[in-house]
Amino acid sequence: MSTAALHADSHHDHHEHKESFISKYVFSMDHKMISKQFLITGIMMGIVGLVMSMIFRLQLAWPDEQFGFMETLLGKWAVDGKLDPNFYMGLVTIHGTIMVFYVLTAGLSGTFSNLLIPLQVGARDMASPFMNMLSYWFFLASSITLLSSVFIETGPASGGWTVYPPLSALEKAMPGSGLGMTLWLSAIALFIISSLLGGINYISTVLNMRTKGMSMNRMPLTIWAFFFTAILGVLSFPVLLGAALFLIFDRSFGTSFYLSDIYLEGVGALENIGGSPVLYQHLFWFLGHPEVYIILMPALGISSEVISTNARKPIFGYTAMVISLMGISFLSFIVWGHHMFITGMNPFLGSVFMILTLIIAVPSAVKAFNYLTTLWKGNLRFTPAMLFSIGLVSFFISGGLTGIYLGNAALDIQLHDSYFVVAHFHLVMGSAAIFGMFAGIYHWFPKLYGRMMNDTLGYFHFWITFITAYLVFFPMHFMGLAGVPRRYYQFTLVEDFNVWMDVNKLITVSALIGGAAQLLFLYNFFYSIFKGKKASANPWQANSLEWSTPVERLHGNWPGEIPTVYRGAHEYSRPDREEDFFPQYIPDESAPEVLHTEDHKVAPEEKSPEEVESSVFFAAIKRVFGLS
Amino acid sequence: MTKTKIKDPLPAVPPARLNMWLFMVSSSMLFAATVSAFIVHRPDAQSRQAWTAFDLPIFFFYSTIIVILSSVTIFYAQKSAKTDELSANKNFLLLTTVLGIAFCVSQYLGWQQMVRLDLTFVNARPEDISASYVWVITVLHFVHILGGIGLLIATWIQALHLNVHKKSLGLMTITHTYWHFVGVLWIFLYLFLYFAE
Amino acid sequence: MFKKSLAVLSFILAPLMLLAADVIEPPKEFSFANYDWITIMIVVLVLLIVLVIARAFDIGALTEKLSGKKVVSWNNVNAWMAIIFIVAGLIGVFYELQVHGPLLMLGNSASLHGETYDSMFYITFGFTFFVFVVMEILLFYFMFRYRYNENRKALYYFHNNKLEIIWTIVPSIVLTFLVLRGFTTWSKITTEIPKESQEIEVFAYQFGWKARYAGNDGSLGNQNFNFISGSNPLGVAEEGQVTELVTELKNEIVKLEALQASAPDSINAWKGAYDRFVATGLDRTFPEDFKTLKNKHNDGISGAYVRTLIKDIGRKRTALNRIAEYRKDVDFFDGTANDDKVTTEIVLVKNKPYIFKFRARDVIHSAYMPDFRVQMNCVPGMPTQFAFTPTMTTADARQIKNKPEYDYYLFCNKICGAAHYNMKIKVTVVDSDAEYNTWLASQAPLVAPVVVEQVPAKTDSKNDTTAAVKTVAMN
Repeated sequence: MSTAALHADSHHDHHEHKESFISKYVFSMDHKMISKQFLITGIMMGIVGLVMSMIFRLQLAWPDEQFGFMETLLGKWAVDGKLDPNFYMGLVTIHGTIMVFYVLTAGLSGTFSNLLIPLQVGARDMASPFMNMLSYWFFLASSITLLSSVFIETGPASGGWTVYPPLSALEKAMPGSGLGMTLWLSAIALFIISSLLGGINYISTVLNMRTKGMSMNRMPLTIWAFFFTAILGVLSFPVLLGAALFLIFDRSFGTSFYLSDIYLEGVGALENIGGSPVLYQHLFWFLGHPEVYIILMPALGISSEVISTNARKPIFGYTAMVISLMGISFLSFIVWGHHMFITGMNPFLGSVFMILTLIIAVPSAVKAFNYLTTLWKGNLRFTPAMLFSIGLVSFFISGGLTGIYLGNAALDIQLHDSYFVVAHFHLVMGSAAIFGMFAGIYHWFPKLYGRMMNDTLGYFHFWITFITAYLVFFPMHFMGLAGVPRRYYQFTLVEDFNVWMDVNKLITVSALIGGAAQLLFLYNFFYSIFKGKKASANPWQANSLEWSTPVERLHGNWPGEIPTVYRGAHEYSRPDREEDFFPQYIPDESAPEVLHTEDHKVAPEEKSPEEVESSVFFAAIKRVFGLS
Repeated sequence: MTKTKIKDPLPAVPPARLNMWLFMVSSSMLFAATVSAFIVHRPDAQSRQAWTAFDLPIFFFYSTIIVILSSVTIFYAQKSAKTDELSANKNFLLLTTVLGIAFCVSQYLGWQQMVRLDLTFVNARPEDISASYVWVITVLHFVHILGGIGLLIATWIQALHLNVHKKSLGLMTITHTYWHFVGVLWIFLYLFLYFAE
Repeated sequence: MFKKSLAVLSFILAPLMLLAADVIEPPKEFSFANYDWITIMIVVLVLLIVLVIARAFDIGALTEKLSGKKVVSWNNVNAWMAIIFIVAGLIGVFYELQVHGPLLMLGNSASLHGETYDSMFYITFGFTFFVFVVMEILLFYFMFRYRYNENRKALYYFHNNKLEIIWTIVPSIVLTFLVLRGFTTWSKITTEIPKESQEIEVFAYQFGWKARYAGNDGSLGNQNFNFISGSNPLGVAEEGQVTELVTELKNEIVKLEALQASAPDSINAWKGAYDRFVATGLDRTFPEDFKTLKNKHNDGISGAYVRTLIKDIGRKRTALNRIAEYRKDVDFFDGTANDDKVTTEIVLVKNKPYIFKFRARDVIHSAYMPDFRVQMNCVPGMPTQFAFTPTMTTADARQIKNKPEYDYYLFCNKICGAAHYNMKIKVTVVDSDAEYNTWLASQAPLVAPVVVEQVPAKTDSKNDTTAAVKTVAMN
């Protein structure tokens, strides 16, 4: 019980609590353990998503081949080793859903927000450890629901991960729109709850529970990224919930929010009139676009931190980086229309969305330039984490630039829903974010498990993954420009698409090699958890606060008082210091810095209630802008 | 039990209260989504003769009055807690709870009225998409009210155990804030629906 | 706390478990022979090989540590890999441009606006490709140049306002240019529609396309989704077809009502058959039959069967009512639809402006004609359109591409179901009106032109025109 009252009580007894197995590993409320739970679940979901993509890649490369093992694996969905078109759609849908929501949202942001926010801002745990635990369990329930939908008779949801109605609303339109879709919607509803519980906690911890001296402008960029990510999540996920609710009503109750003028083969004209399918797309993409940044921003934050640490240089343009993140977050809410240029929306509206969309390129460009300048004249240590971060920057550049084509309404006419789009988002959002996740895992593995991962395996893992990722996604640009549509089950039926057969084979072979390389990672990861080299307290000679905690996991993070912070997190290679790093928590004897003097830690009891009431939120707002 | 007491700095805002505010922001977004769906959908459906304008049931107006009354009572409940008037606090909390339940009843009667007018959630006639929206919005709000009543009862029970007073305002403040939130939300939704319909 | 957690967990999981009990199929009988053992062995083998390699590296690292000597300097290896990667990568990019560049839908537009489109693309490409090459080279060069050296200290350099302002302003200017250019291109494509454009209705359904051309009267007739029937797939407002549909619907209602009346008997029969199946153990012998029967039995017992019947009847009645409403409107059935021609191919004349009116019947589709740089979603209940002018005939394209079999196609480009990948319609562009007219003449109109008969006002005595197009359906 004492854990829940961790922050309610100013007198905190910090001795090691006797934790039972269940409260330590299962229903843990320790943010570090929850982050491990998120990570392992995310990795498991990632494996499922990856295997699914392998299966449909095989289908695309060898559409006429019969794969005996597919029948073993999939049963009636691959009779005689040929994948069923309905199940192909299902695989595409579930692959997208898993990767977008379960791996890159929960697996990435959930893991590292949980691990790093309390450690890097100097808090003993999250604002509400209980909510944090709930967040994980809702996530797990959601994962199980989604995975169970693959095993039902009519197959999983198969209308693409965006599940546009009417396809997803009409059970008779395709088998996956039956029970599979119901399960998908339940899974997403649970997921939304999970990510709201998490997001609220992250924001509140960052705003409210920073240690002494940790003003907003001293926070590492990771925290800034997680902070904006959480804000995006808290503001946009409820909208998806609204969209999903309307869809559920249309599916199960017979309302006409999204349905109108529909005639179904074998059923006849439906009664629904007056609904608007495009309304769903508006609501969905109001989440969907911020979601892209929910995925990408934590990866950018992680890579900033990793690059700064391993380049032994302060991150170039800290303020510009923060402002860029802020700009990207803000703009991401008003550009959703660029996913809908060709839905028949008003052309004028289209041009407004185009202008807003292309503005996002500016903060993104600033970020890319700042990364490059941080590397310039650095002293780069090639840890696997560093390599993955550099890989991220590379993907961010090459994938981000194609966004300039797609954000342009005129160019989107031709490129929309072609393989060009697939190439674009797999590079900038998929590969970049997953590389950020790998960078995070390699970098903070000592903090997670107290052991080191094997570097050599990490190098092999990086180079194979990096090269194959480019081999998989780069040729797709050319396919898209040649007018090859995405989500096609096979291309043999159109004479003109046959020229891409060789490219498809190359892509599939590369994907298989890249997939196999992940086995190296898995081996490295799980082996190192138990048998890895014991880590020292600060193995990377990093500055940020998390490396001041002991190697052994401790509920409450610091055995003694929480350290005070004296400077920003990226003070590497200061000319006045002999060592090339200068941890945040070590005071500078030569020039004692003035601490932030304003006493914002006054307990509420010491003020009159009215005063507290009015000052509390102004204080919070002030702290957001780093005024106090 | 070795006890080494360490004084951790207290957070500026009690975490639970900040979480509550963030939750309110997030749930406002849900209502913003439904309301803007309503706004976007209306001209579209009107152009296809698939939208009915109808008068809101009068009970929704009564609900609004009840909500305003309950806001006053919860305000006094909070005020009396701050000044350690414990019995007044208990009574006002109970009164607010009763008003909350009255609100639920009034909403229920309002829905009944809509059903009698054939303005059902699942529309037999295409024009009733507007009714579907009213149903969705009011029921979503109703769910929030239920949460508020839960909080009120919890606070009241705490008050019975003499746990709500000047030095222990945590739960009381949260309940107070949340109840104002659902109240203001209802007034906004009512005015919106009133003028939009 | 544990109890609390357990309560929460069971609260979350209980509905799932209930759901799962209904959802997850019991496992099939395990049969050894059914499994593809060779592949399984291969997979296991690959896994083992990977594990062995991984272990080898582990041991390698250990020996390095023990002997204290670096066997491999990974610092240099990684740095050189960066150089190899960027050189090989750029060669790969240029190779791709050489080999696949000519296959792209660029510079060979078959429509007027396509040329504007292509020039827009080239400008964007020139700019982004330059940035791409420069930045990737810099990235990997820095990686090589500034690799770790223990004798060196990194430059303490965290801020430079001038630099940061420059690289905020420069992209802004370039993007402003792109935005303006994109804006004009987009407005030109979407809003500049020549008045004399010929309307063609393009109709999407699962899984195919149909086109509707106006007949001699030069205008497309009205349509409504309630009129859709087997012989009238587009739901065109044509008197004969609609009358047929009404009769058909009425017959179906009669049939369904008969089913509803006999529902108790059917349910009893299914129950009897089901019990027999279970009692005799036939359920194991004929699992498929048993499954069908079980579904019927369950639906009968739960009332789902009757509910479905009632719903079907209701739906058909609504359709009838709506059709009746429409038929009250004289203007709606003005006969313009009678000579419309529904075709399974789209034929266009070179250099003539067209406006495609898109409709979809069931789910969202997207009409995608990459050769013409045309794409527009087809949304049920929301008409959309796209105007363009073809400038290259099919014969021209065949010559340019040097493929005698080449054809233009209109593809579906929005996920719409299992046969999405095979949903296309041929588009032919011909040189002259004469060719077009010959083709159009060969297509049959909806109503044979011999029957030139103006349909008189409806039999309904009340010609209430005020209640005209209102789609009210009371039931």
